[in-house]
Amino acid sequence: MRLMRTSEIAKRPVVTFAGEDVAQVKDIVYAAGGGQVAGFTLAGRGLFAGPLKQALPWKAVVGLGADAVVIRDTTVLEPTKAVIESSRASGGSGADVLGSQVLTDAGVDLGVVRDVVVAVTEGAGGHCDVVGYEIEASAALGTQGEKVLIPLPDTLAASGEHLMVPASAKDFVGRDLAGFGAAVDAFRAQLGGAS
Amino acid sequence: MEWWGWLIVALVVIVLLVGAVLAVQARRRRGGVIIDGSGPDARPGKGGRGR
Repeated sequence: MRLMRTSEIAKRPVVTFAGEDVAQVKDIVYAAGGGQVAGFTLAGRGLFAGPLKQALPWKAVVGLGADAVVIRDTTVLEPTKAVIESSRASGGSGADVLGSQVLTDAGVDLGVVRDVVVAVTEGAGGHCDVVGYEIEASAALGTQGEKVLIPLPDTLAASGEHLMVPASAKDFVGRDLAGFGAAVDAFRAQLGGAS
Repeated sequence: MEWWGWLIVALVVIVLLVGAVLAVQARRRRGGVIIDGSGPDARPGKGGRGR
């Protein structure tokens, strides 16, 4: 399992097995239930290219490397509209979490989301799950203005404006990705034991 | 106004237009992280605890 920030994935080129550079990653779309990354919206390559009408579902990703996202060919792409509309129709906000406020279930403001941390499992049937937020800490964390990582439970609360986390999340705050995986596991184990 | 005055005005307008187009394109291409609520447990009041 590999941890990475979604800002590392954004703007990464999407390349086919034939070596064709077909798009670049624009947005990362993830499910509120389970935090599983559903796919990526795409933008065209080149200075004047805008967003594409096709999106890349996660199941079609063959490799997510340091320099590119590899797919078999362009037939695996799906309409972007379908992804976004299915999100809205099913109660999802379809909103960007970057810039959203993180609140605990005790009503304490922990800070503002600056990035999202995902865990990528390689190989066939691999998946990509949202496991934490990188937030600009509020005074409640005692490190106001600093960027810190907070772990997330398996099931996320999604409203679009406020992101809710259990109050105990602030006891598992990390400063870098090294060791953050262990913090996520410990946090989730604690939640599992508490429920 | 002299001919070179009009030339300068035309060049400034072109530069501003290109800058505006590039700014709009950069904004359209800017990425984000979107919550898709279509997951099995994505319902109000369901968040916060394990699977």
